[in-house]
Amino acid sequence: MSNWYSKSAPMDDIAVSSRIRLARNLKGIPFPSRMSLEQRRELNKRVKTAICESNTPFAKSLKYIEMRDIPETQRYAMVERHIISPEFASKGQDAAIILSADESISIMIGEEDHIRIQVILGGLQLAKAYDIAEKIDNLLYDSLHFAFDEKLGFLTECPTNLGTGLRASVMLHLPALENSGEIDSLSNSVGKIGFTVRGMYGEGSKSSASLYQISNQITLGISEKNALDNLKIITTQLIEKEQNLRNNFNKLKIEDLSHRALGILENSRILSSEEMMNLLSRVKLGKSMGILNLEVSPIKLLIEAQPFMLMQKYGVMEADERDIYRANMIREMLCDI
Amino acid sequence: MLCEKCGKNHATTHIKTVVNGFVKEYNLCPYCAAKEGYTTNSLAGMLSSMFGEISSGELPKKQTKCSVCGAAFSDIAKTGKVGCSECYKVFYNELLPYLKRVHGSTNHSGKVPESAPISVKEKTETIDELRNELTRLVAEEKYEQAAVIRDKIKELEEKE
Repeated sequence: MSNWYSKSAPMDDIAVSSRIRLARNLKGIPFPSRMSLEQRRELNKRVKTAICESNTPFAKSLKYIEMRDIPETQRYAMVERHIISPEFASKGQDAAIILSADESISIMIGEEDHIRIQVILGGLQLAKAYDIAEKIDNLLYDSLHFAFDEKLGFLTECPTNLGTGLRASVMLHLPALENSGEIDSLSNSVGKIGFTVRGMYGEGSKSSASLYQISNQITLGISEKNALDNLKIITTQLIEKEQNLRNNFNKLKIEDLSHRALGILENSRILSSEEMMNLLSRVKLGKSMGILNLEVSPIKLLIEAQPFMLMQKYGVMEADERDIYRANMIREMLCDI
Repeated sequence: MLCEKCGKNHATTHIKTVVNGFVKEYNLCPYCAAKEGYTTNSLAGMLSSMFGEISSGELPKKQTKCSVCGAAFSDIAKTGKVGCSECYKVFYNELLPYLKRVHGSTNHSGKVPESAPISVKEKTETIDELRNELTRLVAEEKYEQAAVIRDKIKELEEKE
């Protein structure tokens, strides 16, 4: 089964992915930070039962996995595929996850909140991702009765998620905007209206490969629909700006830049993670501008060549050795068309 | 546990990072953590520092504790994390000013689960519609009409 990053999707020349996360908690038991081991296990069981015994056709495609059964390498590889959060990967032991076969749906149990429903899709598909997340939310609510307050909405461990518990985010590839130096000022103005711009791996992460995540910050006093509509408006404007800047580029320079990048990727024998990201960003730019005729998705390569993804495939090794495996794998994937 | 950097102060900041594919853990005191650039820049961190402003010294000696999870307001203030759903009832008044600062609002206007009373649903739906209207009016630069709608939303939100 192919993942969200393996399929082509609407607007994916610039919009890499759309992600929805709903934070939900159960009544009567402490939030995860104050939970006992027994309560954690009980929680896992209750959520598992709620999904598995719902008997809906879609629930049958979901699989329950305890994190203790997954080695650390695989857990961090899941972070690199954007299926779970880094915090969740480091929690390990008594947390559990419910995952769909294509990994577009992941329900984290015992993260910062009792339940975090995540749906990730390629391209710009916020509404579709939200629809799926809401279906799961309704399904779980029937048997788990989430903590809800008339004034404060869905109750969450961190008050920053209170209300809708919704975090919607879009990952965009913005090399032209980055090159123009406008990202900081855009990030400031987006910040004033309750949205935030972050690097590829969320909170605190630096941007690489010109990938930026835009997400809503405010969850109380705004409806899901308005938050999603606003995010879509901002995203569309950013895409438009990016496209205008790209159109003003010197075409020959971009041709040179992207062909060179592809040349290095097709020929290198040692490739660091950072170099790989930079080169693939240029290849992606060339591909979306119709310069490079490439079947494989640069984002798929970028994700599969991340450190833990490589170690999941080839075994645990030091960074130097990984750079050799990375170069070989990318060469194979590029020539295997 | 002592700080791994200076070896003098108590380590309060525990950092887990992934460097070049390997997980590393550090235990630092607040001073060394700040020096290394590990400041609390997350919203939760900001929140706990906002709570901290009043929780230092001002709290009464006999603290109310939540009957479900046992958390006191000082625990919430320290960590920026609420103990359980019941805490929101127990510490509602204490939490309110911070919610206002973080979200700019203290009234939910999103999804209401099926089992909630109809009046709640209707109210949130009306506010939602008004907000849509407000966005539209602002976009069309009809500020006077927008102000009227804004006041209506305020009025509805303040109504118990």
